[in-house]
Amino acid sequence: MQCDHCAQDVPDGVFCTRCGAHQGTTEEFGNAKLREHRYAAHPGEHVAQPSVITTLFPHLGHNKIHEFRWAFTAGLAGVLVLYLAGLITAAILVSAFLVPVLYLIYLYEAQVYRDEPATILGFTLGGGIIVGIVVTILGRAIYNPFDYQVNPLGNPGVSIGALLVVGLVMPVVQEVLKAVPAFFLPNRADFPETVDGLVFGVAAGLGFSLAEGLIGFSSALTTLPAHVAPGNWIYDLATLAVLQPLLQGSATGMVVATIWRYRRGRLAGREIGGVAMAVIAHIAFAGGTLVLKDSAVNPLAILIWQAVVVGALLIYIRYLLHHALLEEAAHMGFAETVCPSCHTHIVASGFCPNCGMALTAAPNAIKRSRRPRKDPAATPSGRS
Amino acid sequence: MAVTCARCGTQNPDGNQFCQACGTPLAVAASQPGFASPPATALPGPPPGPPPGAYQSPYYSPSAVGPQPPVHRTPWVLIISAIVVLVVLMAGCGTAFAVLGSRANNNGSAGILPSPSPAGSPSPVATPTPTTPGGTVSNKGESFTLPGGWTVASKDDESISVTNPDGDGSVTVGSGVSDPAQTAQDNKATIDKFFKDKYPDTKACPGSKTTTGSLNGAQGIFWEVCFTLSAGGQSIQAGAPLFAGANSDGSVYYVVLLLTSQSNLKSFIAETAPVLQSIHWNLT
Repeated sequence: MQCDHCAQDVPDGVFCTRCGAHQGTTEEFGNAKLREHRYAAHPGEHVAQPSVITTLFPHLGHNKIHEFRWAFTAGLAGVLVLYLAGLITAAILVSAFLVPVLYLIYLYEAQVYRDEPATILGFTLGGGIIVGIVVTILGRAIYNPFDYQVNPLGNPGVSIGALLVVGLVMPVVQEVLKAVPAFFLPNRADFPETVDGLVFGVAAGLGFSLAEGLIGFSSALTTLPAHVAPGNWIYDLATLAVLQPLLQGSATGMVVATIWRYRRGRLAGREIGGVAMAVIAHIAFAGGTLVLKDSAVNPLAILIWQAVVVGALLIYIRYLLHHALLEEAAHMGFAETVCPSCHTHIVASGFCPNCGMALTAAPNAIKRSRRPRKDPAATPSGRS
Repeated sequence: MAVTCARCGTQNPDGNQFCQACGTPLAVAASQPGFASPPATALPGPPPGPPPGAYQSPYYSPSAVGPQPPVHRTPWVLIISAIVVLVVLMAGCGTAFAVLGSRANNNGSAGILPSPSPAGSPSPVATPTPTTPGGTVSNKGESFTLPGGWTVASKDDESISVTNPDGDGSVTVGSGVSDPAQTAQDNKATIDKFFKDKYPDTKACPGSKTTTGSLNGAQGIFWEVCFTLSAGGQSIQAGAPLFAGANSDGSVYYVVLLLTSQSNLKSFIAETAPVLQSIHWNLT
């Protein structure tokens, strides 16, 4: 058949295997070429759906997504049980490690690092942990809560000094430094896809989050008795287990994905907007949390605010990744493969003709039989 | 000999099972002169093995001659088990950490409470620390001497807050008119409610006692609360030794609040001795 949009002869299918356009549709789903109703990494979802697993774990096939959701849920249930049992120090440790460990399993499952696990994990997760330790310790030297909460009996109010340090300076510094390990990845040219950059960035961000969480809660870990009344710890645990790692991972993933796009010579408003979005989201998360806490707002409202910020960040990442996948997969040649999303045996180029999944987001095992593409656009202007 | 794709006309090398340009199976296409309708791309069965020789796609080809590596799959049981093991392992580590940590804290914190003085005693703290005088700070309600290195963080008509040189603790002294009149117990209840509202996990510090006594002439109650102070990504276990008093008819209140981390309580109380000893209540 001939594609409605790129006009190339392509095998029959619901989607063009060359450009990914949804065939035979007009405007009922919006722009069929951009097909934002069919997220390229997981066509069962809309691009604007703030799903954690399909956004930050883009290489997972359809079945694996559910398995990781169950694993995440099991981890959260564990945190809840420990909280209800009053084992707060244990709950803090599980919360801090949960998402980073889940991501480590994901990296192993998708084999994103191919044959170089030590280098990739060292520069992403390990680098993020080192940066996290250094930045958090320096941050504690600069920001001392006792400087800003001298009199707990005073009326609730927001300290401008604290807001500047915690809500502005720290998020910007963190966003700059968290991306450094992935930026200096020595074998980055072997991983040219934007989806690779996203995953490496998320890994670095989660390493940072792990270090930040453990250092931030070190006082509680060393002071709390083994068993205490659960009290209101559930709010801090929810932030530590879910929202903080998702924010740190998403923001760094977005920044590193943009660096990857730049290296391919594709730096437009969408990518620049991505970096701005990451920084703004981090500022909104940290600054908003501080303001709401200082204003003695209900802790549930603080969690809702944090979730809204993280949700917006996830949607922008999906938007960025979706368009990157549509562009980058369009240059692939034909090969036999199995679609990781719909599990159909296909002869396809860049997209599964059956479900529209971008095959550059397939797990490495499925891509392994293919050689890296010779795309001149991959190394523009001598950048690598 | 090159094989021409019947669908798009591309010349494919011998051995190709699929057209390198459009993906049409060459055997099928070749057997259908005037190919019009390509076969469905979703193959009904397992894909055929890799074509002999190098795949000539302009972008992708088998990485090596020989059998393809098996597809990597982590069993779901392993994924869930890894998370369960994480929970169990961290629960064990966290509990052990807490037991060892609290044992160490208990050993090091015996007698950390400020000793409330019996009525008439001049100071709640026994051992004053020699310091370089930093001047006197005062308002309508109280005045006290500031040791060298201490700084005034805030001051109004009723209260003064000062911080120590290390910035890891503060002292707030307050006094003013109570209208309507309130007893020391009423003032304590007000402060307890305030802490509970602002820091919901506020509780009496482990091992602490509530006692009555006097602080530089003001009769009142001594007690100690512990709570979690979270700010800027940090979660600190804070401790606050408190004094709440009132004059004989309840028309004047007196408050002293020390704030620092629980692990620093003992040394901070000793450090604040010169401040507490020098407090002079202006309202009686």
